[in-house]
Amino acid sequence: MSKKTKSIFINIPIVTVLSILALIMLVPVIWTILSAFKMDGEIIRFPPTFIPHKFTLANIGKVQSRLNIWTLMKNSVIYALGQTIPSLIVNSLAGYAFARYEFKGKNVIFLVYLATMMIPFQVIMIPRFLEVNALGMYNRYTGLIIPQIANAYWVFMMRSAFEGLPRELEEAARIDGLSEFGIYARIMIPQIKPALITLIVLNINGSWNDLLWPLIVTSSNNMKTLSNGLALFIGTGTEQYGAAFMGGAISLLPMIVLYIFGQKYFVEGQVTSGLKG
Amino acid sequence: MSWFKEKCRWLNKPSRIAYVFLFPSAVLLLMFNVYPLLASFYISTLDMKVSFDSAKFIGLGNYVEAFQDKYFLNSLGITLKYTLMEVPIQMIMGLVLSALLTKNTLRNQIFRSIYFLPIVCSATVVGVMWNLILHSNIGIVSHWLWKLGVQQTGFLTQPSTALHVVIFVSVWRTFGISTIILVSAMQNVPHDYYEAAEIDGAGKIRQFFSITLPCIKPSFWFLLMTRVIGSLQVFDIVYTLTKGGPSHSTETLVTYVYDKAFVSSTRMGYATAMSEFLFLIIMILTIVQYVIMNKTKD
Repeated sequence: MSKKTKSIFINIPIVTVLSILALIMLVPVIWTILSAFKMDGEIIRFPPTFIPHKFTLANIGKVQSRLNIWTLMKNSVIYALGQTIPSLIVNSLAGYAFARYEFKGKNVIFLVYLATMMIPFQVIMIPRFLEVNALGMYNRYTGLIIPQIANAYWVFMMRSAFEGLPRELEEAARIDGLSEFGIYARIMIPQIKPALITLIVLNINGSWNDLLWPLIVTSSNNMKTLSNGLALFIGTGTEQYGAAFMGGAISLLPMIVLYIFGQKYFVEGQVTSGLKG
Repeated sequence: MSWFKEKCRWLNKPSRIAYVFLFPSAVLLLMFNVYPLLASFYISTLDMKVSFDSAKFIGLGNYVEAFQDKYFLNSLGITLKYTLMEVPIQMIMGLVLSALLTKNTLRNQIFRSIYFLPIVCSATVVGVMWNLILHSNIGIVSHWLWKLGVQQTGFLTQPSTALHVVIFVSVWRTFGISTIILVSAMQNVPHDYYEAAEIDGAGKIRQFFSITLPCIKPSFWFLLMTRVIGSLQVFDIVYTLTKGGPSHSTETLVTYVYDKAFVSSTRMGYATAMSEFLFLIIMILTIVQYVIMNKTKD
């Protein structure tokens, strides 16, 4: 057999298997999104359909009346942005300090930061809940957001990003009379844009998808996020399938858009910043 | 005002400003990570609900109770079973796919981004999705399987199949991560190794076992350990698919802890004590990982 025919014989089965796998990944997502636009009658019809016979937007109204979806959405946005922006500042400051400064106790402090990465969230969730409760932050945005801001993963990632920058940059700025904070904010931060975007993308995705912490720290319907509100809705064994599909689709779409535009950063983040998820 | 400026100037030295930069994250980490961890050891010795006022010190009582609690032992077993099935499937899929998709051709990039897609979806959405897809009345996959001759429906409501479905969905959601990480490890293997092997007449499969695998060993170990640790902590996907049911057949350690602390009761002390087992197992694994990583470095 010539090399070419041999490679075709190997390639065709491989591509077939890869394509089937790709279908297994895509079909559930597509079916969910398409079903969000089906009439109730069509959803429960036998046999189930794949493409809607008739597109309808009726489920948007249902998902609002049954699930209060816009409130959930608002809370998810507040949680995602309210956590990402402070996280960007707090963690990049710490990463910068570890990367660019020599100071007493640096190694010990860094080890403590690293050690916090090993604390499983599931072990501290109950004491943290009691603490948040005692501080009067239960069922509030502050309780949802503040404990999640500092994260040694991001400190670690920011440190590696800052470490690669040349000394001359910072020294020139110092000679020009810029303050240390000015050097950080105006000279160094703009140099690590890819790392910052990675942090933003992964942080938004992480808090949008976070389930356990919002589940623990919020109970009123006004404070639930999309992901725990939806989980609780499905958990009741609802027969409001149209609303469930639409709720799923609405919570899915922003992340798919984020993925399409930020795929590079998702991949980078998974590969470099330790393997969360 | 001038006092403030004075202070700022005093702080504006590289050796001093570092502490200012570290301050916010250090305070937050101490308050919400380190302190809760230390507090957890104390809380685990208390018989308490939400308030500390009525808490009673009972020493190791909670730990003793855990060992007699058949649901706790069951949840440990389920967690173990889940980990022993989920992680190997995930790792083998990751290895095979990353070997097939190492090169950055357009075709491979498209496949990789499709496989990676579910990772950006929340566990909730994935749970909702698969709940509906496998629904015995309206689920399209249930229907297709039925057409193919699979008589059973309601895979998530039967104790005999529910855990397998949870494992399947979990692999479905996350094998893209394993693939991507192994792809990037395989891309770092020096190209001349393969050329040399080619000259020696080694086939592709031989090359995979004698070059690729040894070269990616550190990444492989790291991935394996993180996957194991992640599986032991599994909660989201179980909660959204089955909530631990039916009849405790998918109840993992963390779902049981969550249930005891926040759903069926508010026994914070007891739930914390059970979570310490997780802490212990993860600590041991972390040390093992550290030792192995150091060994594979040489």
